Amino acid sequence: MIVVENLTKSYGSKKAVDSLSFSVTPGRVTGFLGPNGSGKSTTMRCMLGLDKPDTGITTFDGRKYADIESPLSHVGSLLDAGDAHKGRTARNHLRWIAMTNGISASRVDAVLQMVGMEDAARTKVGKFSLGMRQRLGLAVALLGDPKVIILDEPANGLDPEGIRWTREVMRHLAGEGRSVLVSSHQLVELSLVADDLVVIGQGKLISSGPIGNFMTQHAKTWVRVVSPQFDALAALVAAQGGTVERTAEGGDFHAVSAVVVGDIAAANNIVLHELSPQTGSLEQAFLDATDASVEYRGQSTTTNVWEAPKP
Amino acid sequence: MIDVLKSELFKLRTTRATKIVVICSIALPAIIFGLTSVFGFTNGEVGDSLISMVGNFAPLSGLLLGVVGVLCSTQEYSQGTIRITLVATPNRLKVFVAKILTTLVVSIVSSLLMLLLCLVPSQLILSSRNITFDVIGSDLRVLLSVVILSAFLSILGLSLGLIFKSSPGAISALLLWPTILEGMVFGLLSLAFKDTNVFKFAPIQGNGFRLISTFSGTKENTWLVSLTYFSTFVAVFVVLGAVLFTRRDA
Repeated sequence: MIVVENLTKSYGSKKAVDSLSFSVTPGRVTGFLGPNGSGKSTTMRCMLGLDKPDTGITTFDGRKYADIESPLSHVGSLLDAGDAHKGRTARNHLRWIAMTNGISASRVDAVLQMVGMEDAARTKVGKFSLGMRQRLGLAVALLGDPKVIILDEPANGLDPEGIRWTREVMRHLAGEGRSVLVSSHQLVELSLVADDLVVIGQGKLISSGPIGNFMTQHAKTWVRVVSPQFDALAALVAAQGGTVERTAEGGDFHAVSAVVVGDIAAANNIVLHELSPQTGSLEQAFLDATDASVEYRGQSTTTNVWEAPKP
Repeated sequence: MIDVLKSELFKLRTTRATKIVVICSIALPAIIFGLTSVFGFTNGEVGDSLISMVGNFAPLSGLLLGVVGVLCSTQEYSQGTIRITLVATPNRLKVFVAKILTTLVVSIVSSLLMLLLCLVPSQLILSSRNITFDVIGSDLRVLLSVVILSAFLSILGLSLGLIFKSSPGAISALLLWPTILEGMVFGLLSLAFKDTNVFKFAPIQGNGFRLISTFSGTKENTWLVSLTYFSTFVAVFVVLGAVLFTRRDA
């Protein structure tokens, strides 16, 4: 189990992480979300002792990272797929890491096989695609067969098969009782794999807990209705405080529940062809939750910054 | 500690740049000295001993081994492997000591190999040319000095690498200081103080490189003073490198 307590890290006058506290439970995949520059990578570096936090502590099963003997056997991490000497072969890259923690060469071959890189074992890292480097990074994380796994954007650069494989690996590892913390910008992927979410913005905690709770708190919900008497129903629902949004086949009711809409339709003998509660995506919920803490925002394509210069 | 040492040695063995520089530090003096033995030496020109002549190549070999020390640290930063190194071994002092020991082992073995490859072929070549000489004679101290100079320059390079965190900066400092800057600084000091003997305070040229020279003048530092002065100079950078390495964010 990972417990992060009151973590704060500043660079000059800028607070990259601000009194951040959360925990990662064994047997579950915890998604770590936040806009660019929100402090996700800094948090992970502080957790692993690479950056020294101003305040706060991170413990792995009750112990600080620096106090763990043979840390790779307890905590496996992938922070940046580019962290490998381009002139070394994949196998040699894993071997020097394995040596530091007394991990056998046979385990190196085993993890290369696990990530599907046994044929590329003697190829130099410089010749690898980004996807191959991600796989090698995952091999590093799995090298010590750790109980805790920390992955920063593990699916970055992977093809669809690789993304699905990464998802299956994370699920499998959590299924074995390991704690898995994964940051990702691929929200659809994360929604398919994460059990819990830790959402941060500008270094501060926005939400922490099961993904269902986050969706309940932040995702939009509405009721989709298809009916030949839609206008009549819309008027009745509006009188109950609901708002209506017309679509091609019917419409969406906001601020009312499906039960209320169904009761109104039944009480007024209105025929319904469809009555279904709808929930917004994790992406929409994430964007809504972090809207106030987005630090770097792109220009909308409707603004004139995208217009071609006039001759 | 043994595991970290093995890993550091493996890292050095598996990077092409370090291997090339190590080979150069051994082969360049050996080739030049071999050619000199074939074409240059005649009876009476071999000096006090063959090793005193080989000693002249020690600064070249030592500076190249200093570059190996630089690469041992800066490649970790340029390739991003420092993060994995410190995640695998959170005790930074242990990593630092392992790097120092690894660099020392490589530089000592390399300088001994360099001496061997200079002396043995030259001895054979000169014997075949009927040129008489002493291999070591009374200059056993030179043998020791060559190894000490290489070892100190290599850990100076390692420390500069940890301070600068970039190969160009650290290699420039390592090579420019003894070859150009030291001469300029102490040349200016000698003009300012009207004292030609001020050069004996130059840490690398005035003391480090002097270890392999003949000590005769009364105004010069003795071998032991030069060794103490040079080792103190290197120690300052080693301590600075250790402090920055253990305290800085990776």
